[in-house]
Amino acid sequence: MIYREMGKVIFNEEIADGIYKTVFISPNISSSSLPGQFVNILPCSDWQQVMRRPMSIASQGNDEISIIYKAVGDGTRIMANWPIGEKVDLIGPLGNYWEGLESCFPIIIGGGVGIAPILNLHHLLLEKQIDHNLIMGARHKGEHFLKHEPQNKIFLSTDDGSLGIEGNVVDALISIYPNSKHPYNTKIFSCGPPMMMEGVRNYSLENQLECDLALETIMACGIGICQGCTVERKAESNGQHSYRNRFALACLDGPIFNAEEIISCM
Amino acid sequence: MHVKLKDIEFSSPLLTASGTYGYGHEVQDMVDVNQWGGIITKSVTRHPREGNSPPRIAETSSGMLNSIGLANLGVEKYCEEIIPFLNELQTKVIINIAGTALKDYLETLDMLESAKGKHVGYEINISCPNVKEGGMEFGVNCEMTEKLTQEMRKMTDKLLIMKLAPNVTRIEDIAQAAEVGGADAVSAINTVVGMAIDLKTRKPKLNTTFGGLSGPAIKPIAIANVHKVFKAVNIPIIGIGGIATAEDVVEFLLAGASMIQVGTMNYQNPDLGAELKQKLSKYLDQNGINSIDDIIGKVEYHSN
Repeated sequence: MIYREMGKVIFNEEIADGIYKTVFISPNISSSSLPGQFVNILPCSDWQQVMRRPMSIASQGNDEISIIYKAVGDGTRIMANWPIGEKVDLIGPLGNYWEGLESCFPIIIGGGVGIAPILNLHHLLLEKQIDHNLIMGARHKGEHFLKHEPQNKIFLSTDDGSLGIEGNVVDALISIYPNSKHPYNTKIFSCGPPMMMEGVRNYSLENQLECDLALETIMACGIGICQGCTVERKAESNGQHSYRNRFALACLDGPIFNAEEIISCM
Repeated sequence: MHVKLKDIEFSSPLLTASGTYGYGHEVQDMVDVNQWGGIITKSVTRHPREGNSPPRIAETSSGMLNSIGLANLGVEKYCEEIIPFLNELQTKVIINIAGTALKDYLETLDMLESAKGKHVGYEINISCPNVKEGGMEFGVNCEMTEKLTQEMRKMTDKLLIMKLAPNVTRIEDIAQAAEVGGADAVSAINTVVGMAIDLKTRKPKLNTTFGGLSGPAIKPIAIANVHKVFKAVNIPIIGIGGIATAEDVVEFLLAGASMIQVGTMNYQNPDLGAELKQKLSKYLDQNGINSIDDIIGKVEYHSN
């Protein structure tokens, strides 16, 4: 079930450099969403652009949902300034969700704009008591809001080495698992900027690891109508809808795709 | 709010533009699709089409560019899978047909006529700018528009609406060709050819370089084209182009449209059919307008 609901802002703060967290009261979306899904947001009622802004859900429950985002464009800057009590037009929950968590050792990797669905997955795994590793990448220390705690299997990386492991998330993977010695049945789950995810995808393919990636694409409707949020799949992939075998839609067939089935994250 | 097109009565003059509302079922959880006067479905073609490579859309000021390339499941599956759903709708359904050759259009129409559909008509897309093989050649050529209209007219008694492109020298000539060919109405406008470039990569924002611009950004172009067509033909016009408010609807009516289609703004607000219907009704009441018919084409020119 997809809902259009006016979410009431009850928390909206900068939690790291340029990174904001907003919590809404949104009972219908909260009770029906699963980690990995997203909402399509109208930043304001007199929004002058035609497209909503799709945002991954970072947490759900108790009638609330939260999102975490970087204030980088016109939409997210409006969002960063929502006052408490603001009613925001939300459509969701949309898309597929993280699956296949039980029979593997999950390494979950987030970075940049892809923090939200990875945090959501982290909490789901903790709740299910599934042992896993979390790796979060950022350009520098200021963009992190978690603590680097290798003893708790939480690894942070920074491009400039100002916190945690120096380098990107793939460098972190190499440093945590020298000589590609991964735990038995490792499966990678990742979301982040396209360049980062392409690196993670290549790492998983080279190491023959299962890998699911939550892709970010440009998107208009979010519900399968406009057919704009296309992700190219390998021709042999089989889908339910023949004409979408090759050009899948991130909003309906995704946003989570298997690393093997897609051509690229870029 | 009821309007008539030929002998078909619609509960409001508000229709969905093809490709912006799917087949109506995608939004069913959220809205009552029967609030629309009618639904014009996403273009169907003779054979399935996978569409263009990504990126297919880009945001522009108060608008968007698209180059979907008529991705659809093809008329055979459409008859099997989509028509039974469309038959359940209370609102009127108009099926949009696209093609790249005369034969494609006619075969598609033939199969839809044979299917047991409750649809009241067809809108013929002769103006998609995003298909290389040349569907567009119909929309820029008077003889071909007339011929296609004539051939289709022979095959159906249902509403026949030709959808016109703005990317032509004289849209009124194409409209007249459709009228001569026997069309019941024309709809105007399809998207305007546009292009945007990513400064970092220096690549076009669309894979196909050019695409179709839609949304409020094109409304003045649409109003001008609707008015040109209004002065050139006697058949009704269905206005399309960036409609977002009840005032926009009134502007199209004044320019000469008898009905309108809402397109790109459906992506932002899937419930515009109900909201605009209510607001339009209020606008007409507040301004002492008894019937929509009273304002169609009633723009008043400057008197100098």
